[in-house]
Amino acid sequence: MFVLLRQLQRIRSECALPRPARRGSLQLRHVDAGSCNGCEHELQAASGPAYDLARFGLSITASPRHADVLLVTGAVTTRMRGALEIAYAAMPEPRRVAALGDCALGCGLLGDPSQIAGRVEEILPVDLRIPGCPPDPETIARHLRELLAR
Amino acid sequence: MTDALSLTAVPPGLWRETIGGLGRRGGLPLSLFAAAGPDGFPEVRCLAETGDGLMLAVCPALDGAVPSVADVVPALHWDEREARDLHGVVFTGHWPHRPLVHHPADLAEWTTPVTGDDVHQVAVGPIHAGVIESGHFRFHCVGERILHIDVRLFHTHRGLEHAAEGLAPDEALPVVRRACGACAVANSVAFADAVEQATGRFPDDATRRARTVLVELERVYNHANDIGAMCAGVGLAPGAMVFAHAKERAQRIIHDLTGHRFMFGAVAVGGSGLSIGADAAAGARGALAALGRDMAAAWRALLFDASLRDRVAGAGVLPHDEALRLGVVGPAARASGVGRDLREDAPRLWYPGFRAVLPAEPVGDVAARMEARAVELAQSLALLDDLLAGAVTPGSVTTVDSGGRHGAGRVESARGGTTCVVELEAGTVRRVHLRTASYANWPAVARAATGAILPDFPLVNKSFELCYACVDR
Repeated sequence: MFVLLRQLQRIRSECALPRPARRGSLQLRHVDAGSCNGCEHELQAASGPAYDLARFGLSITASPRHADVLLVTGAVTTRMRGALEIAYAAMPEPRRVAALGDCALGCGLLGDPSQIAGRVEEILPVDLRIPGCPPDPETIARHLRELLAR
Repeated sequence: MTDALSLTAVPPGLWRETIGGLGRRGGLPLSLFAAAGPDGFPEVRCLAETGDGLMLAVCPALDGAVPSVADVVPALHWDEREARDLHGVVFTGHWPHRPLVHHPADLAEWTTPVTGDDVHQVAVGPIHAGVIESGHFRFHCVGERILHIDVRLFHTHRGLEHAAEGLAPDEALPVVRRACGACAVANSVAFADAVEQATGRFPDDATRRARTVLVELERVYNHANDIGAMCAGVGLAPGAMVFAHAKERAQRIIHDLTGHRFMFGAVAVGGSGLSIGADAAAGARGALAALGRDMAAAWRALLFDASLRDRVAGAGVLPHDEALRLGVVGPAARASGVGRDLREDAPRLWYPGFRAVLPAEPVGDVAARMEARAVELAQSLALLDDLLAGAVTPGSVTTVDSGGRHGAGRVESARGGTTCVVELEAGTVRRVHLRTASYANWPAVARAATGAILPDFPLVNKSFELCYACVDR
């Protein structure tokens, strides 16, 4: 444990993450609506030690009932449409939807049209667009901080 | 060449003996899927090791039916269910035939009836509490004890195989790669190998070396991720964070070498465009060596962490015979003492003298699966140290024969043996089937978690750390 903590201490100092000036916080709920798992890896990295979304007051919450933002990855498949709509309906107002990655934005290679319900925009009102395939953790953090400023 | 694919037409009457008897004759069935035959009628194809090479056995679905082999080869159970859902082939004798890709509303149609005093169901997903892909689990429990799990995946089914059909191989490659971000390289190389085999081409030394560099880099960041995920599964934050950062370091090295954190676009059909200069290779080699030292120190610390050992030792045991019966692959199989690794015989990649490594005590529990990642990490870093000793140069393929209609590619991904079978027609992909290691191993997750308590499921699940996207496609 001592070795791990010492490594963590070193990671922390090497990353030298600046303290954010802005105050406030947002709870994020992620839904994979048909992703390739790339966006999931990068979103996890964004909340990991090298980027640490939490220092901006941005944290992943377990339930849509506690969420301010619905982060949707992937083109929405026919099989995920219902679950996505239920998650959105469960959120308290005011609520925001962020489309994360090119598939969610409808500009990636999506697959067989008969299996895809549509891009996120066609299903839910999208407030924030985070482009990339997948967007790197830095990009994810930057866009989410924009939402914090709104 | 040692990897020729022989095509064998099998009449329905001999199908069960041909596929079911493979094990007795030293062979191994690898994947099974349906396709439209040359006359347009459906047929079932099975890729298998025969003991002296690869065989693609083909059986016509007369009146839309083929004898089932799922009872004698349980590893092909999901394959048959998928083929029925997607191609309408009926597997005679496969009973009850539960849908896999389709999602009927009626619970009785897709779950196993579990009855008895106090038996109840716990439904989880498709949306999970963390940043996890979508999938639904139905736990049949008494109290906290899991009696049985019904797994319903394919929530992220995008019909990628179907979407790739009719495209030229180089256009189909990004579609196939889209199956999974974390296995993008392994799946792409398997597809490229399959296409090259079908067109009678063989990668030259430079291409083989370049692809091996990519496959091993993918394994390094995935294995680091998986060890961290298992620490997270027991709430050991220091372990989770140190290995999350190790993964991040690996991905930054990967980005420097290939221009993409997941190496999207780094694999091509018919050669390799990857070019890493001697200086860049030396830089990466040094960075990987430093990363390896830090991970080794962190791993040793985990071995002496009593609270972690207490949770992982003896948890989620997958016995050796069950691993064999279910056709489990990769680190999960090796953790159960099944010493198979496709890298031992990979003529289209660069693994001279490679031997699979197993954990010291391959007893099939979470601890063994965790250790399997640790020992393979060291092995992969040693391979990369050798491969990056000089520049990585672009390569091409050489024509070795006239090829055939079909080709098969096999790659040991971070999660295990991945198989891609391609059928070409007039320069386009007529049928492509990708069977990833995650596809092979999902039934084993349910098996290993049976008898565990419900709160241990996330840990058991993370010890396999399978992709959903790789299965759903």
